[in-house]
Amino acid sequence: MKYFCGIDIGSTATKIVLTDEEGKIAAHTTAPTGSHFHKNAVEALEALLCRQQIKRQDIGYIVSTGYGRKLFKEADETISEITANAAGARNSGEGAGTFRTIINIGGQDSKIILLDDEGHVKHFTMNDKCAAGTGRFLEMAARNLEIEVDELGDYHMKSTGVPATINSTCTVFAESEIISLMAGGHSREAIVAGIHYSIARRISRLAGKIGIEDKVFFDGGPALNRGLVASFEDELMREIVVPETPQITTAFGAAVIAQEAFAAEGEKINV
Amino acid sequence: MHTERFERVKKSTNLHFTMEADEALRKIEDFPSNPGAMGYFYDLFRSVYANGGSLTHKGTIIGTMCVQVPEELILAAGAVPFRLCNGAHAFDQAGAEFMPAKACSLARATVGMLHINRSVHKERLGMVVVPATCDQKRKAGELLREMGYNVYILEVPSSKNSEEARHYWQNSVKRFTAELQHLTGRKITKKSLGTAINLTNEARRQFRRLYNFRKISPPVVYGKDALLVSNAYFFDDKERWLQALTDLNNELELKALKGESVGNRHAPRILFTGSPPVFPHLKIPLLLEQSGAIVAADEVCSSTRMLYDAVAYDESALYDMIPSVADRYLKPCTCPFLVLNDDRRRRLKDMAGQFAIDGIVYQIFSGCHLYEMEQRTIAKTFADSGIPLLFLETDYSQEDTGQLSTRIEAFLESIKARKRRK
Amino acid sequence: MKRLRQAINNSDISRFRFHFQLFAFGLLIYGGYLAIDFGSNYIPAFACPFVETRGGTCYLYPLQHQLNMPLSQLFSGRGIGLLTGFITFLLMFVLFNKAWCGFACPLGTVQDWITKLRNRFGIRYSTYSETVFSRQKNIKYVLLALLLLLSLGMSNSLFGMQKLSGDFSTSYCMICPGRTVLPLFTGDMSQLVIDFSSKTKTVLTGLGMAVTGLFFTGAFVKKRFFCLLCPMSALQYIFSKAGLLRLKKDGMKCTRCGNCYRVCDVGIREIADDLESTMIVQDDCMMCLKCVSACPEEGCLKATFLGLPVYEATEQGFFKRMGGRS
Ligand code: SF4
Ligand code: SF4
Ligand code: SF4
Ligand code: SF4
Repeated sequence: MKYFCGIDIGSTATKIVLTDEEGKIAAHTTAPTGSHFHKNAVEALEALLCRQQIKRQDIGYIVSTGYGRKLFKEADETISEITANAAGARNSGEGAGTFRTIINIGGQDSKIILLDDEGHVKHFTMNDKCAAGTGRFLEMAARNLEIEVDELGDYHMKSTGVPATINSTCTVFAESEIISLMAGGHSREAIVAGIHYSIARRISRLAGKIGIEDKVFFDGGPALNRGLVASFEDELMREIVVPETPQITTAFGAAVIAQEAFAAEGEKINV
Repeated sequence: MHTERFERVKKSTNLHFTMEADEALRKIEDFPSNPGAMGYFYDLFRSVYANGGSLTHKGTIIGTMCVQVPEELILAAGAVPFRLCNGAHAFDQAGAEFMPAKACSLARATVGMLHINRSVHKERLGMVVVPATCDQKRKAGELLREMGYNVYILEVPSSKNSEEARHYWQNSVKRFTAELQHLTGRKITKKSLGTAINLTNEARRQFRRLYNFRKISPPVVYGKDALLVSNAYFFDDKERWLQALTDLNNELELKALKGESVGNRHAPRILFTGSPPVFPHLKIPLLLEQSGAIVAADEVCSSTRMLYDAVAYDESALYDMIPSVADRYLKPCTCPFLVLNDDRRRRLKDMAGQFAIDGIVYQIFSGCHLYEMEQRTIAKTFADSGIPLLFLETDYSQEDTGQLSTRIEAFLESIKARKRRK
Repeated sequence: MKRLRQAINNSDISRFRFHFQLFAFGLLIYGGYLAIDFGSNYIPAFACPFVETRGGTCYLYPLQHQLNMPLSQLFSGRGIGLLTGFITFLLMFVLFNKAWCGFACPLGTVQDWITKLRNRFGIRYSTYSETVFSRQKNIKYVLLALLLLLSLGMSNSLFGMQKLSGDFSTSYCMICPGRTVLPLFTGDMSQLVIDFSSKTKTVLTGLGMAVTGLFFTGAFVKKRFFCLLCPMSALQYIFSKAGLLRLKKDGMKCTRCGNCYRVCDVGIREIADDLESTMIVQDDCMMCLKCVSACPEEGCLKATFLGLPVYEATEQGFFKRMGGRS
């Protein structure tokens, strides 16, 4: 049995996916990237292999992606996270073929990818330098509200009435804005909903620039946040597909590409 | 106190500039099988930037802030044209003292450089010619005048489509000619202008040879080298430059005959356009070629737009030659400061065909509205013909390199995937 | 073959044209000495019959004579004469199209010589604004119409007017500088007079003298000044599209650099700015092909004969011509 490995070294988390010969996910893991990210990535991979009792030699091909992709020397190939994300979404099974737009929110950036008829990247855009509308923004907000990041969704769902308005997109200013909103007597729920709407609005505007088509596939860690998904549905006025484990879509895509590359290389050898 | 502080700023700015230049050169040279004849250009940049940008030319130096300045006239008046457009982040930061935070890096860096190195430049530059093209340059001209430079504003029409505009420009060039003669005290004659035109036309002929070599696939020369060659034209001695380029062309000709090529045979072929890459800011072309693409063609004012067109005149007499020189700078111009700029779109389309282009990379400097506003129409033009366009907004800092490289790689990957499927 | 092509494309068309014009001038003005009558009466250029020793005759002369007939006889023998004359003219014209003007017309050649002279003296040419230019363009059609109507008007009463007197015979020739200028080259000054024999003749020949003066001064300040007014050119242009020799443009390759327009003696702006037309000959064009020689884009402008390229713009040729000048 051969396995294929996709490893996505992002700014906050490193995601590893192993697929089998059928292209199904055999195992996956997520570990913090940390500052020694090469070491952490190698350790995470070894731990995963150990847990699954897979030998290193059984891995046919490794493709790395994400900001740290070039530093992961063990990889056979590196690929940009945009291509990997598209490949992951295309093969995820969730509503494949029904969407042509991917929204990905990562730790430090957000991307919008348009796919062509065959599911390949046609066009894409990314947010600019600042962290507004990214996972980091949500983390900051949760910290200021003194709740956990994964509670944000529940707070949003519990909110009734009007969400609070967040004007700043800059993390630093938004921080003080949240504090003053709390002091002004807004409920946590309303503030959380307001934050989600502000992110959804910002990204929708970015998406508007390149033009959204069909259903929207939403991945990256923050896609687990039901409140954020609901805000996106409202802002984009479209149906949104969220995969089961949205945080590993890109790593999965890298694994898919690894398998393809392995097959292509095999052909070359056989010829 | 004040001067002491200035001296310290100057020292550190020039240090940062040298570091930047050095890093850029390292990256440029860090490619396999560089042509031997490129050695001249690598050394030239190294020697010039080690001493902080040289003004070692003999005679009066006329600084120019744009490709719109007719260099034939400067040469004919016995002076040396020196293009000041600057590409250094260190000077960009120095210029931030004078220009808005959202201004174009190129204009700001040029002002910054002239501010920091004013002691030498003010003395050596007989005149700084600022064509009234984009807003940034026009107002930069005023700033430079305040700094004490002898600024000449070269008036330019904002459209080239009417005969009135053409005559307005021809008259503006005539006035400029008078001013030049006044400054150098030398009369421009039929002979001196003829010699200058011959020299510059020969430079363009050699440039076009290089341009044509870039059409060959698999490629025989990297775009980064071609860009460095045209960047050297900004300040290098014209005759020496011409000789070095001729040598390079001869070498490439041999290479092409032998069927040698650089880079990957199937490297995506990129057409680069938008705000001009000026050394050391060759960030995006370098990232492209480091990621396995080839910048096969460019439509930018620091390269092709500067050196492609040649002067054609009918009668050997000043009354015909001067307007002919003027026409050379207006009629074929595709700079977005011109209104109804369909020519740029047509030009790009034609180049995409001639150079077998797989994708377009469109750079804009944050703050350059002209290029940004044209981006949409151009993207649309190419969307129709199935050539993807990557739009990158950037400035002279290196902060966005990580992001840029992700975008660039994704773009190249999508081109490769498309090619494979074909 | 490829070599030959390249040699032709690299060549300097203006020099060739200068020599060819000299040759054609000799033939058309002095050909009579050698008993050459080349194309007899139907030359689509000003080979003026008032030159005794000519080697061919300007078609406008017989045309005016032939038109002097009652319309009722149009379908008789005289009508056939008119028709065959016209067809001969057309055949000759179609062969070389407007290149007759650029390469053969003696009057055109004389103007080019005057230009050379001016250039020798270092005197600048004058330009005029586009509006004047476009207005002046129409004069030649007016002259052509008058030429036809006045000739017909002698034997017919047109528009309810009386028949015109015989003094209007070859009325255009009376004001044409071909009649006054060209005989000068054979030492014949006899046409430089005003004919006072009748009122009409006085006015016409008087006008002719004025036009002669205008011809010389005009040619001195403005290249091919008279050509912009020439009724022959108007007549030619009507049939220009049928020409076998053609001037073609590929708009896709054009950078609108304006070089072609720059060197055009008659100031045809369309040559640079028209990107749509493939057949680019305009009414004032004389197919001198200077524009082709000034175009730096491979194959953007070209002259073709029966569809085959005879002279083509090339980068190499351009730099050969424009590079080493002084
Ligand atoms: S890049 Fe734009 S703003 Fe900057 S100098 Fe050029 S035209 Fe002006
Ligand atoms: S237009 Fe000029 S060259 Fe042509 S026939 Fe008339 S006078 Fe001769
Ligand atoms: S358009 Fe060309 S061929 Fe015609 S007259 Fe002008 S230069 Fe000569
Ligand atoms: S010279 Fe050639 S490229 Fe230039 S405008 Fe004329 S036809 Fe176009």
